[in-house]
Formats: sequence, structure tokens, C-alpha cells
Amino acid sequence: MGNLEKEQLTIGFVPLTDSAPLVIAKSQGFFAEQGLQVRLEKQNSWATLRDKLHEGILDAAQMLAPMPLASSMGLGCYPTPIITPFVLSLNGNAITLSDALYQELLQVNELDDAALPLSAGLLRKVIEQRKAAGAARIRFANVFPYSCHHYQLLDWLESGGISRKEVDILTVPPVNMVGFLETGEIDAFCVGGPWNAKAVRSGIGLTALTSFDIWENMPEKVLGISKKFAEQNSKTVTALCCAVERACHWLEATPNRFEAARFLSSSDYLDAPLDVIAPSLIGSCLTHRDAAPRHVEFYNQFYSRPGQHVNKPFVTSGEWLLEKMMMVGQVPESAKGSISVADVFREDLYESVSSSFVRAPF
Amino acid sequence: MSSELSILLIDENVDRAKEVIAALEESRYQVRHLASPSIALLKEVDAWQPDVIMIDTESPSRDMLESLHMISSYSPKPVVMFSEAEDEEMINLSVKSGVSAYVVGDPDSARIRPILDAAVARFNEYQRLKDELVQTKGELESRKLIDEAKRLLMDVKGISENDAFHSMRKTAMDSGQKMEDVARTVISMMKNMNF
Repeated sequence: MGNLEKEQLTIGFVPLTDSAPLVIAKSQGFFAEQGLQVRLEKQNSWATLRDKLHEGILDAAQMLAPMPLASSMGLGCYPTPIITPFVLSLNGNAITLSDALYQELLQVNELDDAALPLSAGLLRKVIEQRKAAGAARIRFANVFPYSCHHYQLLDWLESGGISRKEVDILTVPPVNMVGFLETGEIDAFCVGGPWNAKAVRSGIGLTALTSFDIWENMPEKVLGISKKFAEQNSKTVTALCCAVERACHWLEATPNRFEAARFLSSSDYLDAPLDVIAPSLIGSCLTHRDAAPRHVEFYNQFYSRPGQHVNKPFVTSGEWLLEKMMMVGQVPESAKGSISVADVFREDLYESVSSSFVRAPF
Repeated sequence: MSSELSILLIDENVDRAKEVIAALEESRYQVRHLASPSIALLKEVDAWQPDVIMIDTESPSRDMLESLHMISSYSPKPVVMFSEAEDEEMINLSVKSGVSAYVVGDPDSARIRPILDAAVARFNEYQRLKDELVQTKGELESRKLIDEAKRLLMDVKGISENDAFHSMRKTAMDSGQKMEDVARTVISMMKNMNF
């Protein structure tokens, strides 16, 4: 410790269940242990979080895994080299249908109830019937154009033989998701916690499946830092990664998970009741007002276990995400040549900071 | 500078919105205010095609605007943002993030009009440069392709530069293709044949 280039850091986060590693690193004093004084600053939108990180108003931020790639290529923003040395979480998203859409789906398929994880193929008849009746298409929401949520939703639909062209997809801020589902402005959404559980507790939705059911263990949130900051503050970045890694390890124990839910529920962070935050942190996916929760063992993963490196930003994971971005047509030809994934998903930097972790990684 | 411009104002702060509307009375700017975040935002932008969008930096609805880039029929608009924070960093942010301008602090009529005028002018200039750059890059790329194809033809067929060019142009004219596309075919053919 000592002689850190920068000791006071401002880190941006979006109030979601998987901001737990940052919240715990702060509340359990893991940042302080590393000689860092960290201010966690709540952000209302991913776009503003990104812009503030680009400009150095934030020193680091919780980002959607595709965002550092989008920033580096200048998609939707001025090209700015953003890197990630550390993956914060995976398997935290879920897809929830409005109860109205769920009932419609049961009716057209002549079912009493549907097996979960829900097969997207069951939407086929809904789409056809709506088309025949000249009714509106099913309207889905994601949280950001460059988000795992977006690609997970598309992959799920594709698994049921449904193409992007047959539905509407738009972007809605997480905080507005449940409200829009209730008013019928959207029929379904893909979002992180606590919003799926919130929709179920409010009795307005069915959580059809989690992102673990779609992708299984791909990075969802990452620690984003500007390349310039990482180069000028290498000791600080190491300290930051060590503190967050410590928090991720702390989050492995189930009793701690419940404590995490308690911290997260405070008005400084999620400002939401414990009964919507806790379930997804302890492997329980609330499904429907009238049904039992579903056990999803790897719901919200934060820490590397033997044989599974959660926190290492594999270049192959980055390449996989880039491929998804290309498949949905987000990457113009001119940007394709400008990106080297290994310069963004910094597996090498993770390797070098991991020697300073409190325990050796697996 | 006298043509009318429409502004979509997205602000949950109704008092501030009123101030903006008052400040822009009898100006070339026509303001439409949207107070609550809803899908209506996307519909408004799509149907009304405002010339300028004004929004609070801290509004969650900013991410909905982000998705507008994904709509193919959408043409980029200058975005003007409000910021409560009166720091210089926020103003720097404007230029780099593609946001056209920041209105820092309270909007009053003496300040807001020149800010809007400048934002619109700068945005138009930026779009023009961007279009130009895309065009120049495209031209350069196609010239490179044509040169490479020409060289391959000269090497393989032992013909002059002039003959190589004319043979490609003839193919282009006969098949109704662009020179660039003919060049691409030539290159891939020659490369596949391992010349």
C-alpha cells in the first residue's frame, strides 16, 4: 500500500442488484483497506455514466460489458479508449412478460400453465394471431442498445425461431421498466435485478427465464476505466481491483448475500425493499404471483470458482460480444478495423493485478 | 438564421420547462414539452422529427434517446443538455460526447438563445464534416481497390496499365457494376487462383 497515484476516487454505478461488488467494497471497508477513499455516485442513465467516464468526471464505473467496446469504436459517442481489467458479475438478467402477455400466450397455445424456463417458441402463435387481427406487435424493452440484455433477448427469441423483424424492441431505463409494463406501454423486458422480482411482487408479470438460461456464464457488468487513467494510475488500478475482488469473494457466502441485500436496499443505493432484492442474490428466481420461485443456482455470480473465472475479462468473451454487436448490425464497416478486443478486454492487466489479490485466484 | 426550428424539451422539472418556454417566446424556436418519461418520447421524436432535442443530463430518459441511433429512419439531431452542476468538466463533455451544448445553471432568455443558435450551427457543421469524411474515405478505399486490381491484371496478363484499366471499365459497363465492385471481383479471383 502507500504511494498510490490517486487515493480519492469517484466511481459511477447504476442502482441494480449486480452493483453489489462496488457497494460491498465500500460498506465492508475493502476500498479503505487498500488505501482508497471512494465515493460511489449513483447514475440515472448508462449514456450519462459513459459520458462522465469519458470526460474523467468519473474515475471508474460499473459498465455493461459491451460498453467499453462501443466506447472504443465510437458507437453512439465520440471514440474514447475505455478498457476493462475486471468482470464484476454475470447471470444477473432475466426476461419478464407482462401478465397480460402471459395469459394471451397460454390462451392461444391452449395451455393451463407453461414450463419454465419458458420456450420462446410459444410466442409464435401470439405473433401470428396478433398479425391476423391487425393488432400491435409484441413490444420488448432492453436497457441500452449496447447491452447483454439486448443480445440475450434476441438470442432467446431466435431460439424459438422468432426474428428481430417480427417484434418491436426499444430502450427503456431500468427504473421505468415496471411502470411501463404495468401501463402496457411495453409487453416484456430484459433487465437486471431488482426489477424482475419487483414486477412479480407487484403481481403484474411472469419472469420467464434468467440470462443464465440463455447464455450461461458470460460477462454482464464490467469495471470500466479509461485507458489513459489506467496508464497513469497503475497502482491505484491494482488497489481498486484488489478491493473489488475482495468484495466479490465476500459475496460468495450465502449469509453474506443476505447482508448484501440489506446494504443494497438503502436509499443510497437501490432504495428498494429487501423482498425484491434478496431472492436473486440467493439463487431464487421469483416467477409469478401464483407460482413458486424457481431455483437458479448460478443467478448473480460475482466470484471466480475453480474452473470458472468469473472476474477475468477473457479476450474470447470480448470477441464473442463484438460478434453479437456485429450480428445485430451495430458495428459499421469503418469501425470494424479500428478495434482490437485485446486492447479493451485486458486479460493481461487482470493477470498482472491478480498477483496482488488477497488470496491467489484459482 | 431566421427559419423556424422545433425543439422537443424533455424535462421532469416542470418549473424549469416553463422558464425555457418563456425564454424562447417570440423566437424562431417552437418548443414542445414532454414532462413524464414514457414511450411517447420515442413516438414524438419519430413522428414530429424535432430539429433540436433538449434534455436534463441526469434524466433516465437519456438512454431512450440513445436507442434512436438504432432506428434507420432517424437522422441525428443536435442535443442540448441541462446540467445543474456548474463545473467546467460538464461543458467540456459536450463537445467530445457529440452533445451539441450544455446549458449550465438556470435557463434565461439572454443566454439560452445564443446557446441554441450555436448548438444548431455547430451540429450542422459537424454533420457536414462527417459526411465529407465518409465520402472521402469511400473514394480513397475504392481507388486503392482499383489500383490493386489493375496491378494484378498487369502482372498476370502482362498487359499495360491502360489496357488493364480499360478491360475493367468495359466489364463494369457491360455488367452495370461499379468499378469498385469489378475491382473486388478481380482481386478475389486472382487471389483464389494463387497468382
